[in-house]
Amino acid sequence: MRSKFDEQLKKIKDDVVELGELAQRMLKESIVALENRDVKLAAKIYTDKKKLMKMDDDIEHRCLQAISMYQPMAKDMRVIGASLKLITYLTRIGRYGKDIAKFVKELADKEHIVKLVSIPHMGNIVDGMISDALDAYKGKKPVDIQSFVDRDDDVDALRVSIFREALTYMMQDSKNIERCMYYVMIARYLERCADHACKISEKVNYMVTGKRVEIK
Amino acid sequence: MSEDIEIETQKLNLWYGDKQALKNIYMRIPEEKVTAIIGPSGCGKSTLIRCFNRMNDIIEICRIKGKILIDGKDIYDKKMDVVELRKNVGMVFQKPNPFPKNIYENIAYAPRIHGIKKKKKLDKIVEKCLKQAFLWDEVKDRLDESARSLSGGQQQRLCIARALAVEPEILLMDEPCSALDPIATAKIEELIRYLSKEYTVVIVTHNMQQAARVSDYTAYMYLGEVIEFGKTRQIFENPSEENTENYITGRFG
Repeated sequence: MRSKFDEQLKKIKDDVVELGELAQRMLKESIVALENRDVKLAAKIYTDKKKLMKMDDDIEHRCLQAISMYQPMAKDMRVIGASLKLITYLTRIGRYGKDIAKFVKELADKEHIVKLVSIPHMGNIVDGMISDALDAYKGKKPVDIQSFVDRDDDVDALRVSIFREALTYMMQDSKNIERCMYYVMIARYLERCADHACKISEKVNYMVTGKRVEIK
Repeated sequence: MSEDIEIETQKLNLWYGDKQALKNIYMRIPEEKVTAIIGPSGCGKSTLIRCFNRMNDIIEICRIKGKILIDGKDIYDKKMDVVELRKNVGMVFQKPNPFPKNIYENIAYAPRIHGIKKKKKLDKIVEKCLKQAFLWDEVKDRLDESARSLSGGQQQRLCIARALAVEPEILLMDEPCSALDPIATAKIEELIRYLSKEYTVVIVTHNMQQAARVSDYTAYMYLGEVIEFGKTRQIFENPSEENTENYITGRFG
């Protein structure tokens, strides 16, 4: 019984990591597609979304099945609980990647107003947060909560700065409004992804230590 | 633990002949709460709860050292009236064991022995206890039928009602659902939660999900020792001891 359960638990964990890496790649590639106005890459992210949703449903189903069949306790229960939460957060991150890819199609016909610097920088920070959270989940190690707090603050500050910068371009020329609105929304999506990464780190921390921490 | 303590054991040790079954048990069981005792077979769970109403007295080779205080009184004191103790500490066993009498008599028997003779008063006690045990609606029209005609789950609830008839403060339950189907088990579990508003319940169970569902506190025992005692949520979500974690996650036992 126990070894069968261990096998299922391992498969769930491996699949959560795979889903996480897919979601992370979708977000990362959406920023690359944005920078290069690469419509082809944006279209690929669209197809990834279907795979992501299928994996989300499949892992959820197997977590519920494991709960009903084995009624896990203690650390096993925390792993399944964390996995159920993680797939939701990670799927949201992947979907934000898809949403950004959607804007790429709108922005592809013309050059960017200025060379994009802050958005890719923000994307890199968020990407690092997702990597660290997934590594902690994989290795069952507690996360460095303070580093998440610091990076989340940086991302928040960048979103505000992008908004102000976009506002300036919009005031300069009303033709910039549509494009700048997309930049503002992308910054907002990246900020949400950082929030999800923080939530993932909280859940992983609980999974590993059994103690709850909250990133405010 | 901020609650009032109903049962307290101090350095409790018990031997069956040469074999030590309980080792240095210090435990504080809170009042009007459900405390579950879990652990692998032979770890001393049943032995421990049988100490709380001195059921082990009848085993010749059994020897006890240490103290058990109920409401502050040492129940192994020479002055302790064992009949009075067992009136205060009721017990329900693994298999339902109703008397070979009718339903009414099963409940009325003990109060009658304790001196209640008036039919009207006995009627009231029978109705009250059967209601408390969630059995009244199912048996009110056939109180004169044999208790053996009831289903296993109903018989177990009758045994609980019978234990309540002498107004105990504590109810000990030794695997009360192990012989019952899931529906009868669910009714007993609901009953345990309801009873904990007025009674202190100590339940021994092999079913960890049941312990997690019904109890406020859980004690984990292993080889005659209490390895961990704490709030049920903490024990099942984040046990402090590795031994507890291994047992509740099914790595042994």
